[in-house]
Amino acid sequence: MPEARRFELAMSPHVSATATTRRVMTDVCIALLPALAAAVFFFGFRVLLLTGLSVMAAVAAEFLCLRFMKKPVNVVLDGSAVVTGILLAYNVPPGVPWWLPVLGSSFAIVVAKQAFGGLGNNIVNPALLGRAFLMASFPVLMTAGWWAPLAKGPSGNDSWDQSGMPSADLMEADVMTGATPLNLLKQTYTWDAGAAEALEGGDGDGAAALREKASEVRAMLSSGQTRLSLLLGRVGGCIGETSALMLILGALYLFARKVLEPRLPLSYLGAVALFGWLFGGPGFFRGDPLFHLLSGGVILGGFFMVTDMVTTPVTKKGRIIFGVGAGILTMVIRRWGGYPEGCSYSILLMNLATPLIDRYTKPLAFGEVRKNG
Amino acid sequence: MSRVRSFSGGTHPPGNKELSRSREIVRIPSPDTVTVSLCQHLGAPSTPVVKPGDTVTFGQVIGERNGFISLPTHSPVSGKVLSVGEAPMPHRRTGPAVVIAVTDREESPVFEPWPDWRNRQASLIIDRIRDAGVCGMGGACFPTFVKLSPPQGRKIDMLIINGVECEPYLTADHRLMLENPSDVIEGMNILAMVLGVVDPCIGIEVNKPDAITILRNAGARVVPLAVSYPQGAEKQLIDAVCGRRVPAGGLPLDIGVVVQNVGTCAAVAHAVRDGIPSVSRITTVTGRGVAVPGNFHCVVGTPVSVLVEAAGGYTPEAERLVSGGPMMGMAMYTDEAPVTKGTSGILVLSGAEVRDSAEGPCIRCGKCVDVCPINLCPSLIAKASEYGNWAMANDFGALNCMACGTCSFVCPAGRYLVHYIKRAQNEIRAAARSGKGA
Repeated sequence: MPEARRFELAMSPHVSATATTRRVMTDVCIALLPALAAAVFFFGFRVLLLTGLSVMAAVAAEFLCLRFMKKPVNVVLDGSAVVTGILLAYNVPPGVPWWLPVLGSSFAIVVAKQAFGGLGNNIVNPALLGRAFLMASFPVLMTAGWWAPLAKGPSGNDSWDQSGMPSADLMEADVMTGATPLNLLKQTYTWDAGAAEALEGGDGDGAAALREKASEVRAMLSSGQTRLSLLLGRVGGCIGETSALMLILGALYLFARKVLEPRLPLSYLGAVALFGWLFGGPGFFRGDPLFHLLSGGVILGGFFMVTDMVTTPVTKKGRIIFGVGAGILTMVIRRWGGYPEGCSYSILLMNLATPLIDRYTKPLAFGEVRKNG
Repeated sequence: MSRVRSFSGGTHPPGNKELSRSREIVRIPSPDTVTVSLCQHLGAPSTPVVKPGDTVTFGQVIGERNGFISLPTHSPVSGKVLSVGEAPMPHRRTGPAVVIAVTDREESPVFEPWPDWRNRQASLIIDRIRDAGVCGMGGACFPTFVKLSPPQGRKIDMLIINGVECEPYLTADHRLMLENPSDVIEGMNILAMVLGVVDPCIGIEVNKPDAITILRNAGARVVPLAVSYPQGAEKQLIDAVCGRRVPAGGLPLDIGVVVQNVGTCAAVAHAVRDGIPSVSRITTVTGRGVAVPGNFHCVVGTPVSVLVEAAGGYTPEAERLVSGGPMMGMAMYTDEAPVTKGTSGILVLSGAEVRDSAEGPCIRCGKCVDVCPINLCPSLIAKASEYGNWAMANDFGALNCMACGTCSFVCPAGRYLVHYIKRAQNEIRAAARSGKGA
């Protein structure tokens, strides 16, 4: 008599949607490619080398960690290390030595990710912690490596000045302490403060001169031409953050693929615009929200790092709190902090609050009534 | 045309209903032996009242009710009892059952047929529905008479008939509505009369336009619903049809609603109008693991292997055997288990259809939170459960989960979220039973 057929038992459901972690990560990589194309166009082929090295270092670091911890090494193929490698490279200036992104992405993987238990268990965004590590350890390299866009580009065109702003000749040579639009903005805050001080000291003329200088730079930063430069990526900045247009293009792809959910990016960008307008200018309600959105790392951060799944809340309400909180912190650092840009630190700080946010934004279950008192 | 209604949350798994949707219901004669489970309903199993060697006739009670939430079990055939004891079951390893050697397949009324049921007392009709062993045919198998006996002072003003059949692959309810709309409507009218509801309605998803048309033409009030899983879940269906929300931990009775499946309606009609107890059902045998998927009418106790044979047998790709649909159905280890009143489908999935069993770490993408129809955070409950933190799992509302599987379905990491949550539910309930908690 033949043995009765035995079937394998398994928990329901017995079918699943086609999305996998690997596909999610692949989609994110694809969405990041347009910005890389813009970076190559504006900064030259060296950015490809830096990004490639960063990715390779991240993957190698992940592989070695898994090997060392005797975990299955095929996990390295889930694509998350590639995303970290790309994002780390996108967060360094194009002029840094080749070993800097290698060190940064290795740190990101080993310390920020694997030491906390690997994918899904890291508390903060690995790429951003890698960047913070580089900023703390190599501050000069990380802030002096700005390249004027196109100056070293494939076209050899060097008609753009260091800031990439066509009307920067408005400024005297000593003004050019920074080479990104945000450095210039930060400078205007200093001048405003200097003007107030001068006025207190009775130097009315000096105050007026400083004020005028600040408002000229502001007018230049808010000009249509600057906006166009910011949109295209024709400004100084980190490798992957300058071209708002290309980043938005990638984000649209992710929305279409249903990888991105809208609450995180929209609440973050909304908060940056609102608080940029509120206190990002010379006085209250005089900031330029569009400038704050398009400059620095806000678009890159808003669509690719505020939205990092692992380190942000899972509750719907929590995602909005996270986005708004990061947006406020970004603007606070830009306006009053020690750095011209606050995007990455604001996200890192909010990452730390994520478990707490999840805890306190537990949604009401279907048919559940909020208890009074 | 009115707006198509639905509930919040949910997802759209591929229907795969085309495999069996157009297949007419085929009546399979009962096999030579049937294995009748004594636990076909939710509640206490019935107590066997026959012993090996006894002769039984069609519709004879072989298991008696055991407590309030319990039902009698009837013999679906005439024959001789071979054994009374444990047998393989679809929802567990084994369960109490009566095995009968069939001598006669003739069906005849066991109770007095009441074609004039409108003149009968409501309480007598409820007793009839109970004594005929009618339970929810949608899969939950809750004794129907209990739902018809609301506590004193509770007014029921709405009866919703569940024709949603939101589980992918299954088409048994769809075929029933197409081929036998009059029984469905008769049962609905009986239930409405008993409950004192004046305007009952049938909720059907718009992926079954033919069923909507047929039932409308037959005079029923149909509420078309957008296609979304799990719309056939009682609370989601009520929300979709009338916008009322059953309180968490409560019952539809609490908000004056009773929901009954279309198959249950047909069983009620047979019990009340025809005097036939609930001893058979329509079930879909489908999946790419069977050669010719179809819909079959068979007596309870028919081994699953007989149904698979009727569907052309296994294909070489057959890999998993499931009782019910792919989202909430239970995997079976053997096709020796019999059909019960709750067997809405027998699914034989091919290797290509079955989900990948590999499980990755949670990447906290929040997709499970977005789709949960109960508005829970499945990933967080699962994580708490994984680490044995039952208190935290409870705090995140684990007990509200109905195990619809929507979260596990969408999870890109392939996590068995339902498994973790059910584990937490068991532990939380066990702790509550043991008194002080763990």
